[in-house]
Amino acid sequence: MIFKLEDVTVYFPYDNIYPEQYSYMLELKRALDAKGHCLLEMPTGTGKTIALLSLITSYVLSKPENPVKLIYCTRTVHEMEKTLAELKLLHNYQTRHLGPAAKILAIGLSSRKNLCVNSRVLAAENRDSVDAACRKRTASWVRALAAENPNIETCEFFENYEKAASAAVLPPGVYTLQDLRAFGKQQGWCPYFLARHMVQFANVVVYSYQYLLDPKVAGIISKEMQKESVVVFDEAHNIDNVCIEALSVSVRRQTLEGATRNLSRINQEIERFKATDAGRLRAEYNRLVEGLALRGNLPNAWLSNPALPSDILKEAVPGNIRRAEHFLHVLRRLVQYLRGRLETENVEKEGPVSFVASITAHAGIDQKTLRFCYERLHSLMLTLEITDTDEFLHIQTICDFATLVGTYTRGFSIIIEPFDERMPHIPDPVLQLSCHDASLAVKPVFDRFQSVVITSGTLSPIDLYPRLLNFHPVVSRSFKMSLTRDCICPMVLTRGSDQLPVSTKFDMRSDPGVARNYGKLLVEMVSIVPDGIVCFFVSYSYMDEIIATWNDSGILKEIMQHKLVFIETQDVVETTLALDNYRKACDCGRGAVFFSVARGKVAEGIDFDRHYGRLVIMFGVPFQYTLSKILLARLEYLRDTFQIKEGDFLTFDALRQAAQCVGRVIRSKADYGMMIFADKRYSRHDKRSKLPGWILSHLRDAHLNLSTDMALHIAREFLRKMAQPYDKAGSIGRKTLLSQADLEKMTNDGSINEMLY
Amino acid sequence: MSGAAQVTKRAKYKISVKDPGTPGALRMNDQKLMFMPDNRNSGAKLVVEFKSIQGHKYTKEGSNKPPLINLANAQGGSYIFEFDSYADLHVCRDFVSKVLEKSKETPNAALEKSAVKLPDEQLSEEEMQLRIKLLQENSELQKLHRQFVGGNILTEAEFWAARKKLLDIDPSKKSKQRVGFKSAMISDIRPATDGRTNKVTFSLTPEIILQIFAEKPAVHRAFLNFVPNKMTEMEFWTKYCRAEYLSRTKNYHAVVAEAAEDEELAVFLKEDDILANEVRKKIRRVDPTLDMEADEGDDYTHLPDHGIFRDGTKESNELQSEHYRRTLLQDLNRHAAVVLEGRTIDVEREDSTRALAEALARSKRGNEGADNNANEERLDRTPRVAEIEDLQAPHCLPLAPLSIKDAREYFDSQQANTLKASRDSQASMKCSLSRQEAYGSVRDAISEIKDMGLSDPIVNPEVALKVYSGLTHNISSIKYHLGKNPRETVLDRLPSATKEKLLYHWMSIQELLKHFWSSYPITTPYLYSKVNRLKDALSNIYPQLEEMKESLPADLRHQVSLLVRPMQQALDAAIQHYDADLQKRSAKSGEKPNGYI
Repeated sequence: MIFKLEDVTVYFPYDNIYPEQYSYMLELKRALDAKGHCLLEMPTGTGKTIALLSLITSYVLSKPENPVKLIYCTRTVHEMEKTLAELKLLHNYQTRHLGPAAKILAIGLSSRKNLCVNSRVLAAENRDSVDAACRKRTASWVRALAAENPNIETCEFFENYEKAASAAVLPPGVYTLQDLRAFGKQQGWCPYFLARHMVQFANVVVYSYQYLLDPKVAGIISKEMQKESVVVFDEAHNIDNVCIEALSVSVRRQTLEGATRNLSRINQEIERFKATDAGRLRAEYNRLVEGLALRGNLPNAWLSNPALPSDILKEAVPGNIRRAEHFLHVLRRLVQYLRGRLETENVEKEGPVSFVASITAHAGIDQKTLRFCYERLHSLMLTLEITDTDEFLHIQTICDFATLVGTYTRGFSIIIEPFDERMPHIPDPVLQLSCHDASLAVKPVFDRFQSVVITSGTLSPIDLYPRLLNFHPVVSRSFKMSLTRDCICPMVLTRGSDQLPVSTKFDMRSDPGVARNYGKLLVEMVSIVPDGIVCFFVSYSYMDEIIATWNDSGILKEIMQHKLVFIETQDVVETTLALDNYRKACDCGRGAVFFSVARGKVAEGIDFDRHYGRLVIMFGVPFQYTLSKILLARLEYLRDTFQIKEGDFLTFDALRQAAQCVGRVIRSKADYGMMIFADKRYSRHDKRSKLPGWILSHLRDAHLNLSTDMALHIAREFLRKMAQPYDKAGSIGRKTLLSQADLEKMTNDGSINEMLY
Repeated sequence: MSGAAQVTKRAKYKISVKDPGTPGALRMNDQKLMFMPDNRNSGAKLVVEFKSIQGHKYTKEGSNKPPLINLANAQGGSYIFEFDSYADLHVCRDFVSKVLEKSKETPNAALEKSAVKLPDEQLSEEEMQLRIKLLQENSELQKLHRQFVGGNILTEAEFWAARKKLLDIDPSKKSKQRVGFKSAMISDIRPATDGRTNKVTFSLTPEIILQIFAEKPAVHRAFLNFVPNKMTEMEFWTKYCRAEYLSRTKNYHAVVAEAAEDEELAVFLKEDDILANEVRKKIRRVDPTLDMEADEGDDYTHLPDHGIFRDGTKESNELQSEHYRRTLLQDLNRHAAVVLEGRTIDVEREDSTRALAEALARSKRGNEGADNNANEERLDRTPRVAEIEDLQAPHCLPLAPLSIKDAREYFDSQQANTLKASRDSQASMKCSLSRQEAYGSVRDAISEIKDMGLSDPIVNPEVALKVYSGLTHNISSIKYHLGKNPRETVLDRLPSATKEKLLYHWMSIQELLKHFWSSYPITTPYLYSKVNRLKDALSNIYPQLEEMKESLPADLRHQVSLLVRPMQQALDAAIQHYDADLQKRSAKSGEKPNGYI
């Protein structure tokens, strides 16, 4: 359908639209008009992504005088693929109606591992070895050598791409990663470098959060993005965690050992160069004297990279690390110092300022030197023509650590633990530099781009996010869901079939009665719910434990009589295959149960819509491990800086995870699903009220304190009700599905505003 | 039909079930059965003509009784034989039943001969057997058969053509539905201890072995490699069970130590390399919208030591001796995957384990090619999944495919019908609407109704009620008049002879009418003659019905005539149609006299 939204003509690829989608677009448009940031919460299953994509592309089409680029960030690669698939649908629709004028270039960007088409490179195990294998074939000095010596292997795809030079462009269209690979294979061009090159010309770029938030990556990939871009963080409920992860580093014994090995290797290289090509090292030195700002490859545009504050670019590298061997000495001293700090008996906690002071006192390295470590190492590695970068990860970690600790004076703490608290008998000392302030990593993004959209199905309470991320949205709204029928059915189960309370509270967790009650609940549910059921546990260890118990007591066998069982494990490959099989089992009507973990990979981005999930059971409240030193430090920081109470934050965090888990069952208003919160703590008002509004509004008082048999009864009733035919468009008074005619009518008589507010 | 020459099996002859029996050889041919005891002197020698055998019973497989067959003779005695295995029993049972059928067939022999004579039908022996069997089992069918086929009203082929279904569902010919793997894990076969000694017993059945092979390809490969060259089957499984027992104890150090000592044992304990390869292959074809492995390659916080290491959300995993670590979770996933894949071979044939293993290997090789296609089809589906279903009208209309057994026959007859129809009504409408257009107009009409609403109901409710009560009046009144017990029907009140007769008439009328109506429109002279035959048979039934009515006492006559009336009406309709058709034909041929063209 095509409709007018104020002065923008929106092309929406479906015949009908939900009222929520319409109002979502309207808010988004106002934010774009105001060139400001916005925060939008809309329930899952209301077509957020397509509404967003179609508004922004239509906005650009309507206002060709200021072309806005869309940078769409997803949490995971599979979400990226999903987004691009939706965009493809939209793009087809727009070109059908507007002709070639609507043509855009949209690409997904990922690592070499996911884009490479060279089979010899792909044979490498993980991402880092793929990167290294690629560099081994494509680095400029390798290629220079290969020109003389035909025995040196290069990559034909890269060579072809280089040969094609400026002719190597992607024709307009929407490219998923798979499409990029196919295109690269067909043309004989390297898809990775082609995509990296095309990023600056593309109208829409879809990539992972890290490409914008992690300074190490952002500096390379995202430097060319112009200010007139709209940045979207989808599924952003965890954005604060991503931010603090991006700026946290930990150092363990293995790291230090590896770093020592790396240093001696670098030393050998330096000696070799001194003997053969001393001129190179001298040239590097001269370059460093002139300062990083004059170096061609360091961007001026990315001025506010948090790891490289603006002054670093104007300053020259300090004199004491300009010479390669001097820099090496500094690193040696640093590693030595860190090794000394790891040999501790007690848990230590320190701020970055005192830590830097201590480094200066004991190792003689000042803050400024520390801050330049990261850049200096990269310069050195380039000079030394090191291609097997995956071998040098340890020393890179040390340099990252040094730069971060030298750059920030607040928002971080250094925590040294001699062993994991849960396994005190195994000595495993670790020094962690942990970031507490999510706003640090995201600040350059807010500063740099004119509009940043943060959106998710669960952003409750919505006023907390601006505080956590320290920004001022021009629009901040949470949308309710107008349902045609009550197609979601949340329940709080507090008691098992024997009427005893169930909970994963620490003191009840190992109670066999609770495990049995949970098992009985699932056994009953598998026998009445069709197709797919998803279960979330609070942690891997708890899941392991409870499944073992169920296996011993025969409960698992009973479950298997009704449905196949698939489980998320820590091995991603296995989990992916398990998920694939789970879907197959649901497709063919066999039905299956999927056991997963809140905060796990599956909970983060896999949809269990339609028959893939008719019921989600959340066993317990997914609190973080509250004794963790890092968490405690973060809570303290939040309390001191943002006046957020510890308990509030913990509950907020647990409930957003729970809501995220259960929210994955709904895809559209035609879909339906049940959600069981199986823990007595959910019945308390302070916990429950943190759930997003669209779940709360369907949580009836009668469903707040259920036992297994009552839940079973409700589930039966619900499933029976859902099986009845209904009118998709909703009743006359409250339309839940609008056609083009409806929209036009409502805009003309002004009732559209009524609907919105 | 007497092709099956004879059967010889080892068996024990028993006088009663409890009798230990005399071992010997049982030989059967289509005339008689002979039993020769091993001990020539024993008096148990036996020669029995099949003519004297009345029936046979046998023990079912799976019951824990020995394989017995019991042949009952006309004098009320019986001969019991115990076989060595169920396979022997099945062979003999089949043979006996065949021979018995044949000796009983003699009265029916004339019928079959006429059937075989038919030119248009070439019947295989099995089909013939099946028909005979059906006739024997179903006395009504036999009666009908005798009446119509014997009375030359219907041909054998016509008679059976109306009963294709009966011929089809023969279980022995039809491939049975393959039973999948059990949902329960095989790890459920717990080792049994006897409590006194330290001995642990595992019991393996072919079913379990197949499942082990399917779930653990490495074990399967090891079996093919080791047995029987390197070790016997017994040794192999002993080793396997030992390995299972070890990993069950969860003592990883012991596992590692044992595996180091015995390389064959290590095969069972190690990570399955075939499986790992398979996984690598499969992961490339997984749906990209749930490929979390791609994430691993993208996410930059997966660098070692980056991100938050020990905050309680991630759990440290002690992965020492990883090679020998197989978790319950992995087993569960693998098991479910195998169950989902389904069974590729049958185990019912009582093969050796070796044959089983080889069959599995063959079927695996065969499957590899087929996988690719299935996967491409899945990839096509991905973009469709991206759509939101209720915002868009469905793309293709949900059309249920017609279930037509013989498509050509169906369409031929349809064509004949339309031809005829167009001949009848010269002003036939030219229908040039495509399916889409037709659907479109229907949709428009529906949406119009939706928008406007139906201005007035299609049927006036009062009229509807009147019609309804008028129609149901009859039913209720019959119920009211005829006994308080609704289950007691009119038929039950009739004398049983009359009832039988009535039912019989009803059945034969039905049979005839079925054939009668199915022969219209008459397109071939063959059909014409068939209709004539049928019409004669139908008109013969009239007087029979009348006669029956008259023979009854007056009080029942009314009831019976009520029952007979619909039959007569059906007959009338048929004959009327016949006459009308005849007239039309003769009118046509009147215009164009024979020989004119």
